[in-house]
Amino acid sequence: MGEHEHVHLDTEGSGDYTPGYYEILERSLAELLVEKGRIGAHEVRREIEVLDSRNPALGARLVARAWSDANFKKRLLANGRQACEELGITSYEDTELIVLENTETVHNLVVCTLCSCYPRAVLGLPPDWYKLKPYRARAVKDPRALLKEFGTIIPDDIAIHVSDATAQVRYLVLPRRPAGTDNFTEEELASLVTRDSMIGVVQLGSVPSTPGVAP
Amino acid sequence: MSGDNRDAADWLPNDLGGIATAPFERVEHPMLPWEKRCHALADVLDSHKIISTEEKRRSVEALGEATINKLSYYERWAVGFANLLFAKRIITPEELALKMSEVKARFSITET
Repeated sequence: MGEHEHVHLDTEGSGDYTPGYYEILERSLAELLVEKGRIGAHEVRREIEVLDSRNPALGARLVARAWSDANFKKRLLANGRQACEELGITSYEDTELIVLENTETVHNLVVCTLCSCYPRAVLGLPPDWYKLKPYRARAVKDPRALLKEFGTIIPDDIAIHVSDATAQVRYLVLPRRPAGTDNFTEEELASLVTRDSMIGVVQLGSVPSTPGVAP
Repeated sequence: MSGDNRDAADWLPNDLGGIATAPFERVEHPMLPWEKRCHALADVLDSHKIISTEEKRRSVEALGEATINKLSYYERWAVGFANLLFAKRIITPEELALKMSEVKARFSITET
């Protein structure tokens, strides 16, 4: 088979690019799987497009809708996956989405102690710190001290609930609606919601008097 | 509870809940193109029921703590995939070695 007939899964812009050992391993596995007909030639590329289409703006839409529509919030808390579908957000195979509501008395924090399970359907891929040992180990042991390192001070009279995700069960935090947002449209509300607030490592601050402007 | 008092033999390297670790740092880096491909490959393997998320996690655990600590996140995945594909007899080590030489040659990497 000539060089031009190979299935190249990606092209690097620069001719002098030199991949490392593990990248060569990754390329080799993917090419062998394609050659053996186990996966399609363009599936990895298509999946990269899917990965690129998932980002925290989707989670922010869910949160903003829940803040604006009490019935939607009920449905979201009852079955996250179904509520996502209402907004046209699809889930991954076999993954359940549990949405955890922050209240006056409970603050939720999400972790995956075993690896890096994350609500990818609505947040995209997790940040590095979420996948690294210190976060995973400490979130379940001393969440209050860990949250302080994010600048998040949770008073002692507020309980911290830590939820440990698995391959099948993913969690998303529904943050509390910031004060001063009564007249906000759903779109304006969504612009306030950050990725980290939906992991539970930060709280959303109240909004100053200019409507629609995030602090 | 001290984080150091558990019997290492009873724990898998991925089971980190509650252990003592290095200080927390809020690190993030944009994904490299090959890392994103590696992630996409995992999803494709899962959708074809070739390698599930749980199998992938166990394959990383099986690398042992020393190797896990030496490799980056997606490096572990790539090695885990290779081991699983060998075990499932989908790819042989010989085929992989040949293919890796071919890919290296394409990038003009000299064999060492």
